[in-house]
Amino acid sequence: MSIASESALRPARRTASGSRDRGRARSPGATIAIYGGLLVFAVWILLPVWYLVVSSLITPTQLGVKPFPLIPSSITFDNYLSVLTGSTRNQVFGSTDAGSRLLPAIGQSFFIGAVLVVLDLILAGAAAYGLSRYPFRGARSFELAIIVTRVVPAIAIIGPFFVAFRIIGVLNTPFALIISYNVFTLPLAIMILKNYFDQLPREIEEAAKIDGASRLQTLWIIVVPIARPGLVAAGVLIFLEAWSEFFYALVLTNQLTVPPLLAGFQSVQQFNWNALAAATVMSILPPVVLVLLFQRHVIGALTAGIGK
Amino acid sequence: MTSPALSNELSRADQWFGFRLTVPAAVILIALLALPTGLTILYSLHDVPANGASLGPFVGFENFSIVLSSPVFWRSATVTLLFSVGFVTLSTAIGLAMAILLNQKFIGRGLARALLIIPWATPWLVIGILWKWFADGSVGGLNAVLIALGITSDYHDFLADPNTALPVTILAAVWRQASFAGILLLAGLQTLPDELGEAAALDGAGVWQRFLHITLPWLRPALATVAVLNVIYAFLQFDVIFAMTQGGPGDATQVLSLLIYRQLFAVTQIGLGSALAVILGLVALVGGLITVKLLYRGHVQ
Repeated sequence: MSIASESALRPARRTASGSRDRGRARSPGATIAIYGGLLVFAVWILLPVWYLVVSSLITPTQLGVKPFPLIPSSITFDNYLSVLTGSTRNQVFGSTDAGSRLLPAIGQSFFIGAVLVVLDLILAGAAAYGLSRYPFRGARSFELAIIVTRVVPAIAIIGPFFVAFRIIGVLNTPFALIISYNVFTLPLAIMILKNYFDQLPREIEEAAKIDGASRLQTLWIIVVPIARPGLVAAGVLIFLEAWSEFFYALVLTNQLTVPPLLAGFQSVQQFNWNALAAATVMSILPPVVLVLLFQRHVIGALTAGIGK
Repeated sequence: MTSPALSNELSRADQWFGFRLTVPAAVILIALLALPTGLTILYSLHDVPANGASLGPFVGFENFSIVLSSPVFWRSATVTLLFSVGFVTLSTAIGLAMAILLNQKFIGRGLARALLIIPWATPWLVIGILWKWFADGSVGGLNAVLIALGITSDYHDFLADPNTALPVTILAAVWRQASFAGILLLAGLQTLPDELGEAAALDGAGVWQRFLHITLPWLRPALATVAVLNVIYAFLQFDVIFAMTQGGPGDATQVLSLLIYRQLFAVTQIGLGSALAVILGLVALVGGLITVKLLYRGHVQ
């Protein structure tokens, strides 16, 4: 089963005590190679991020200077003000309402993500538990079908969605996305939770059964509380996918959520890169913070079974 | 793993309970996935009117023969293949290098591993936007860095140049995906018992030999997973290219997913677009299966 469970991902400090043989000193050459590699690694990850953050904190005039000021002489929060309010301190920001649409879009993204998390944790949690503890005939085929769904291109099924949503009149509403996002969030949640339930010890459930608890009582009173880390991880990943999704939102709504709005900003003339950068930083913060907060659970769930 | 025999041991009532727990999710997935997939396949066999309100006349495989005899399709397929080869090899290789590096002991390892997560947690579209401007010909940071390092002497508009547009979109997508590969491979490496490497070192095996004969075989299953995911992500990539080039300049970066998007929503040729979508789905499926076969060759378990 999954070797790469959480134990493998705990912070390294723990292993320091057990590093008997590793105590052998590393050769100076190896040390230099490692820290050299780390420098390259840090630059690779941080350079684009740094460019983004600096762009959001400087004025268009500073941005126009060649070469790009990687270490700016002064910073300003005007870009953030302008995308939040639609205007800067001195002037109305552009002739469009683009700026004032960011906060509502962030709100919609949060709403859609939150509804999907609740909905999918219930649906996928039940299904994953059934598949793990009470495998019925055909359960294995269902699991394989779930994996196959990952290669169905969104673009291959968007046409029928568009037509159906126009008929029932949910185009350009959050419901269009809440419905269609299940295509990828539900299989993801089932896979992760099935993996997680497989790892949970069954003894307590069996004890509960002997004590006369019904199967449903066992699930609700015993399993849900001890499965909380797995549910949290699945919830974060569902939210992340919903927050990041662009294609369905582009086709099925008129820039309702953050990604299509950002894409739309790119074609608004008055909207310069400084303002777009500020909007982009704000759009990255929720998923990044969420993942870093629950890092251990999320990475554990994501990589469970990788060593199979 | 749940043994196949287990389901026989379960009572009928228990199996029925498991089935009922799974039914709601299964019904939703069938409605949302199987139904539209079936409809798209139907569309691909018909000359669907632009408003999509009816199927239109049945035309058999005519849409497919139009697509397959179109130079635009083959040009787009070539771009998709080039993008995929670059994306899969670079993501996997850089991911592996990062995983090996972050599996060493050094000061600040927790911080470095948190850094690894940032590109993965960033939405694909945002990565496209970020790299579009990073590679920009006038305000981009990439030019500033290249000039400071003395690699180039002048500002270059990478995304407007048909020769550099595709490599730069690949680089942007790799920036995200290498982190994802790194996270998965690092988890695989962390399960590698230290004793294996140490025993080999005592026997006089060098760093490279230990990598070839211990690390790589150990990572084989993780590498297979990563490679399959990379292949699928490569064929289905849309967001990054949409944000960076919209397929341009000319058709230099027009991958199949973008071509389909145009067919469906810009020129509204639903029948043709659906035929293209069916082809892309098959390609992604076959690509994934071939990768699994290649990586598991000779390692039947």
